[in-house]
Amino acid sequence: MATAASQAAEQPEGALHGVRVVDLADERGIYGTKLLADLGADVIRVEPPGGDPLRGRGPFKDDVPGPTNSLWHAFFASNRRFATVDVTSVAGREQLGRLIGRADVVVDSGMLAEAQIDVDELIERQPSLVVVSVSSFGATGPWRDYLAPDLVAGALGGVSATTGDVDTPPLKLFGELNFMMSGSYVAIAALAALRHVRESGEGQVVEASVHEALASCLEHVLMWYWHSDSIRGATANVLPRRGSLHWSGAYQVMQAKGGSIMVTPTPDFQKQLAWLVEEGVQEDLLDEKYSDPENVVELIQRTMDVLRQWVAKQEVEPFFFAAQARHAPYGWVMPPERVAENPQLEARDWWVDYELGGTSVRGPGPPYRFSETPWSMRRPYGAPGGDTEAVLAEIGWDD
Amino acid sequence: MAGPGRQEASGRRPLDGIRVLDFTHVLAGPHATRILGDLGADVVKISSERRRSLTNDPDHPYFLTWNRSKRALALDLTHEDARKVCRRLCEKADVIIENFSVGVMERWDVGYESVRASNPSVIYLSMPGMGRDGPWAGFVTFAPTIHALSGLTYLTGVPGRHDIGIGFSYNDHQAGLHAVVAVLAALEARRGTGVGQMIELAQFELGVNLLGPALLDYFVNGRSAEPTGNRLPYDDAAPHNCYPCAGEDRWVAIAVMNDEQWQALQRVMGKPGWAIDERYHSATGRSGNALALDAHMAEWTSEMAAERVQALCQAAGVPAGVVQTGVDLTEHDAQMAHREFFRKTDTEHANAGALPIDRLPLRFSRTPTDYYTAPALNGDDNAAVLQEWLGMDEAEVRDGETSGAFR
Repeated sequence: MATAASQAAEQPEGALHGVRVVDLADERGIYGTKLLADLGADVIRVEPPGGDPLRGRGPFKDDVPGPTNSLWHAFFASNRRFATVDVTSVAGREQLGRLIGRADVVVDSGMLAEAQIDVDELIERQPSLVVVSVSSFGATGPWRDYLAPDLVAGALGGVSATTGDVDTPPLKLFGELNFMMSGSYVAIAALAALRHVRESGEGQVVEASVHEALASCLEHVLMWYWHSDSIRGATANVLPRRGSLHWSGAYQVMQAKGGSIMVTPTPDFQKQLAWLVEEGVQEDLLDEKYSDPENVVELIQRTMDVLRQWVAKQEVEPFFFAAQARHAPYGWVMPPERVAENPQLEARDWWVDYELGGTSVRGPGPPYRFSETPWSMRRPYGAPGGDTEAVLAEIGWDD
Repeated sequence: MAGPGRQEASGRRPLDGIRVLDFTHVLAGPHATRILGDLGADVVKISSERRRSLTNDPDHPYFLTWNRSKRALALDLTHEDARKVCRRLCEKADVIIENFSVGVMERWDVGYESVRASNPSVIYLSMPGMGRDGPWAGFVTFAPTIHALSGLTYLTGVPGRHDIGIGFSYNDHQAGLHAVVAVLAALEARRGTGVGQMIELAQFELGVNLLGPALLDYFVNGRSAEPTGNRLPYDDAAPHNCYPCAGEDRWVAIAVMNDEQWQALQRVMGKPGWAIDERYHSATGRSGNALALDAHMAEWTSEMAAERVQALCQAAGVPAGVVQTGVDLTEHDAQMAHREFFRKTDTEHANAGALPIDRLPLRFSRTPTDYYTAPALNGDDNAAVLQEWLGMDEAEVRDGETSGAFR
């Protein structure tokens, strides 16, 4: 396996090569600065003395917490340079000011205020600067000071109400998935504003609210509220959580032998029916009443019942491949250990090496592939403030 | 051509002047192009009467939700005349986005290689399910398929169950957001060189990436993650759950992240006797005894309105929030009301009028994105788009409509 350094040597520059970013983001925005860093931007992550508090997030290498042992941080703070700056001191404020003076983009979730730097004054002094300010609820409004870690953000944002089963509480998404949505919006904000700078020279402040970001990514939830009167089978303007059963009623995780599988008769009901007939398990699905479009909801429900009984008798692995061979979009429910060995990812050489404390380990690869300016893991994962000296030299700080 | 009630955006927007050809359908692609349109790009969605069904039907609520801020050009690509026009449009595009099955765009002679030959600066983004090559390249996938295969379904649930997963098409949204990031990054890379590129966003690879820390945990520590309900998988925090409240299926999320918040919560609850139990003094102790702790918490919350628990806790510095439904978000959420997050489109849909929408969740101080056109019907913008992009005159457009090519 190639090391991160040798991978970098072989790679052309990333799409954002030459873009300078000062990363002051906490967990609500760190995935956004990761996206920018992994695409080649020079992203300097500013840490307080004592290190980035997010270095305390598990899981840890060998389950031992330590400044460079957080696998969470190694993932989310990839491709960064790390500079220790004490923004509560006069010198630290001056250092941060100079760092920002050389930057195209600053992503902030509160550290600017801590450093007593006023954003509007900042832009006045440096008119081409882009500041992305990510917060839980935005800078104004009755909830602006509310605290919303992931669980609470997901609850208020509408994510939890539609996740979970009838016999469980509403559920949080696993891991960091809520803040990865706000993080994606942070990267969009930075790059859209940067494009405007390239056209006009004019920078600006972009506010990203986690609350609004989550509410904008709820698939059917707002549709159900606004348009339930024109949705077949909808009886109210809220669809309560119901496990894996999709709003359309036509996708659900079912129990097979040896595992679970997501089963759906879409996108071609006729082909699914033909398969059931071939197996002799179609029951009453050929009944004429189901060909009436008025009975489509009943047809979907009955088809799912028939599928459930049939699927229960199948061995999950061969069944999954048989379905996909027929172009049926079934999905075998995979645990992480199986994902780690997926032949498709292997064949496409997806995994990359992370350099953690001198050892090279396998880790997640690119979310997208660029033909000319590839995504790459260019830098080993760094220690707290590991690049402070180099960064201070670049800003002409010589004590 | 100005439709009924159409007005133009008043100020500059960040992506003014960018031309996007949109060959996407369902959710992942349409969410991406909706955002590009909200940001000011001229997004032209290619549709046809032949493909009008389900979520491709411009009157379907799903279509209405994900296709604002775009213009609609009808091209029936089974017609040679339509394919010719399509190729000419591709020459004029800054960005092309498609999420057809592998090979469809090539069949219409608008695959990346043929477009690049005449438009080397094009940024061409494909969003296949599993990727364009590899043993599973031909697999058919929707978001629930990707959730299952990537581990997202397995991990979102309660301990011992692997059949719950995320209750909506999360990965489609993330694919859309990442598509926008990729397109904007490629625009930045093109600056100066004028050279575009191909971007492949395999929705499966995106989904696997989203479980980053859990996968590093597997490769480094050999541990395969399991669902943890509302608990954090790797960190000690308790109470940390959704608790039942007064009313039907009403819940509040409470997340105590440190000892200070635990002290504050005890004061909010009136310092109940059970809370002084020394098992609950530390985060590790609270996490280790979370079941017992959760039972006490539920007893406290179950008599109260979720909104009241939220207000009491937040006033004391304890993170808490109502588990909000679509009704809560749109009717009761004081923050959303203050921010005017929900509004109406600035133009009218031909059959449904001005539509309620949620704004782009970003606020640009100098280039506000406060103009949203309603979804267009197939072919609504034929004349305007073909005139502006290709200089075609009205008569040529009408001929194409009559022959069925532009329908």
